[in-house]
Amino acid sequence: MKNTLIHLNSSPYSSLSCKEGLDLALVLATFEQAVDLCLSGAALSILGTNQSPEVEQGRNLHKLLEGLEFYDIENIFIQESHLNSNTEHIWQGTQALNETEWNQMFSNYQQVFRF
Amino acid sequence: MQYTLLITGSPYQSKACHTALRFMKAALKKYPDCIKGVFFYEDAVLIGNKLNQPPRDEMHLTKAWQNIAKKYDISLYLCIAAAVRRGIISEGESRRYELNQHSLAEQFQLEGLGTLVELMNTTNKIIQFR
Repeated sequence: MKNTLIHLNSSPYSSLSCKEGLDLALVLATFEQAVDLCLSGAALSILGTNQSPEVEQGRNLHKLLEGLEFYDIENIFIQESHLNSNTEHIWQGTQALNETEWNQMFSNYQQVFRF
Repeated sequence: MQYTLLITGSPYQSKACHTALRFMKAALKKYPDCIKGVFFYEDAVLIGNKLNQPPRDEMHLTKAWQNIAKKYDISLYLCIAAAVRRGIISEGESRRYELNQHSLAEQFQLEGLGTLVELMNTTNKIIQFR
């Protein structure tokens, strides 16, 4: 079995990329494939707890985060330097990596897909 | 070594479908069995719309993919969820949604993401074009 990393880097509200990346992660997990997630750039806004998008703005992907553990998706990585200092309204299920760990992380996977 | 190609870039907003086609032509020329399948996801599924009519002095990308798939007998899969939401509808899906039209081009087939997982596990490498 191959280890797969899904790297989300797009805004959850400007295109379907984030949603379709998460869909792929969920399908991989459903087929019992080892899959982890990492978030960077505009995709980090998924982590904000105080969002309630209107229907025109797209699906509230934040709500999917709590369900990831039921799919055995337990590793969701972010870069600690990209974390906002105010973490009060940030989902707490991520693991923050320093720059070296972040760069090394990509070598731990046979497949990395970017969305 | 066998490859699977995963194409996610839109045929209109990126060169992903063009670059993947060039890669495939070069790879197949040298190793005719080296591509197991091609999976289109996200906006790349728009390549499978049979109603595409590019200007006559431009390349017909959908036809180019159909030709190479036919020549080398390579399966071209479109993610069914991504395709249906973008109006790429097979005859079967057209009946299911009680529509009068269908738009899926020949040589392309609608498949779930499970097919991509199977391709991942049966080929040496997946290459994403985005």
